[in-house]
Amino acid sequence: MRVTVIGVGTRHGGDAAGLAVVTALEARALPRSVALVRCERPLPDLLEALAGADAAIVVDAARSDHAARGARRVAPAELADVATTSSHGFGVARALALAEALGRAPARVELVAIEGEGDADVEDAARIVVELLASLTAAEG
Amino acid sequence: MAEPPGTRSARRIIRVGAIARVEGEGALHLVVESGRVTDLRLEIYEPPRFFEAFARGRRADELPDLMARICGICPVAYQMSAVHALESAWGVPVHPGVRALRRLYYAGEWIESHLLHMTFLAAPDFLGLDDGIEIARIHRAEVERALALRKIGNRILILLGGRSVNPVGVRIGGFHRLPTGAELQALADDLRRARGEALALLRWFASLPVPSRPQDVELVALRHPQEYPMNEGRVVSSQGLDVAADAFEDVFEETQVEHSTALRCRLRARGRYLVGPLARVSLNADRLSPAAAAAREELAHRFERPDPASSVFARGIEVVQAIDAALEAIVRFEPPSPRDASPPVSPRAAVGRAATEAPRGTLFVAVETDAEGIVQRLRIVPPTSQNQGQIEEDLRALAPSVLALSDDRARRACEAAIRDYDPCISCATHFLTLTVERRPPRCA
Repeated sequence: MRVTVIGVGTRHGGDAAGLAVVTALEARALPRSVALVRCERPLPDLLEALAGADAAIVVDAARSDHAARGARRVAPAELADVATTSSHGFGVARALALAEALGRAPARVELVAIEGEGDADVEDAARIVVELLASLTAAEG
Repeated sequence: MAEPPGTRSARRIIRVGAIARVEGEGALHLVVESGRVTDLRLEIYEPPRFFEAFARGRRADELPDLMARICGICPVAYQMSAVHALESAWGVPVHPGVRALRRLYYAGEWIESHLLHMTFLAAPDFLGLDDGIEIARIHRAEVERALALRKIGNRILILLGGRSVNPVGVRIGGFHRLPTGAELQALADDLRRARGEALALLRWFASLPVPSRPQDVELVALRHPQEYPMNEGRVVSSQGLDVAADAFEDVFEETQVEHSTALRCRLRARGRYLVGPLARVSLNADRLSPAAAAAREELAHRFERPDPASSVFARGIEVVQAIDAALEAIVRFEPPSPRDASPPVSPRAAVGRAATEAPRGTLFVAVETDAEGIVQRLRIVPPTSQNQGQIEEDLRALAPSVLALSDDRARRACEAAIRDYDPCISCATHFLTLTVERRPPRCA
């Protein structure tokens, strides 16, 4: 199974958290079938990154009314309630919807949101991604 | 409780909490008394961003990077107007190779910005759909085509800007890194293939039921002696204006209106005017590349009178133009020496002014520095600030035809008219709230 882990964000402040998670994962021993990708823009970068994978794990900085800060998995349906900073309103949710409409979306997409920009938040997100990778591999086996 | 539309005595309020597909936050307030529009205000309430103020006291060589932060869609325009102004102030020579690369860089931004607007912001209005996602489900081939074309624009930004978001490759006098011959050759090959795709996309847009709203408005754009304007030119208009960009502040003035946090720019002599693709295509038709000129000729009936609704066609023509301009820049590119690409600059106490053509229209910058190169004053006049007066006038003319419509259709019609201008409210100072207030006749 080809899995792409996609860190979304720009290099500034808290928005860099998704990119920092990819950096943290690069230091870990991951299966060869896992690709790590950095995306600065949901359109076109995320759309491109989603193509060709059997599964994708998208990691992005987020803002919500959720009581607990830090890293957590987010269901696609929750995306509407999680504000991601974007131009012209074209964020992760719309890029995922566009990928689906164009038939480019992987069969499985997992979302990890990070509210916070500390090292512990990034490490938490990296841990969640590794757990997801393990469950995806186990499901395949 | 709202009464049915068209009830003359009704006081009707329509609220649109979050208009999509414009950059920024604003509101439209419409007052109707006895079936007549008595007040119309495009209210921009997004807080001022103070770029001009916080640039003061900073080193002018920081401006190219700082200016790129103003807009995620048109950072090149801000960078280019700023570096041209500073080069004018400090007498920095610009190598022809650098000039060619700047044209290539700007073309990349036009391609990206225009295709985003055409496909994802404007097209839903013509197809009666809610957003670009629905278009992708129904017209997949066209959306794939637009995305592939945008990718080329994105590549250009990354090649010369170092990255597509808040690019950092520009410096006063040149670029921090020059592209290699192989990088440019690969890009040229893709650009040659892209021209046909851009023309095919424009033909698809021409097949859509795009409305028409011709009106009398002065068109303003840069004009270059030989080229379709991007980085240089005199400021000209459809009513005979023809001044050096240096004289911009003599001819135009910014004013503050109570209901908007964005300054508005007007012609001192005649008031409102229109900048942007429609103005450029109309005032510089003879500067278009052969392919872009032929495309314009096929759509000549859409350009007989200024028609904001025809802006989508102007953008499509400019995508073809930008592809050809990019190709020409690559073909004619003579690499500057490293020193010419990053020339030493000597700050001086001076004022520099420059205007370039952002995707949405003319972008003027004036910058004053002291002898150490510290910014003393920065003035930015973005395209959306210049078009606000015209947008209001357009809506005022549109309003009578909207009043008989349902709340939802009235909102959609007003939003679509605003989107024709591809406003970047964040640049000018984001969602539109539309309030239509229908008041009964006052008692005598």
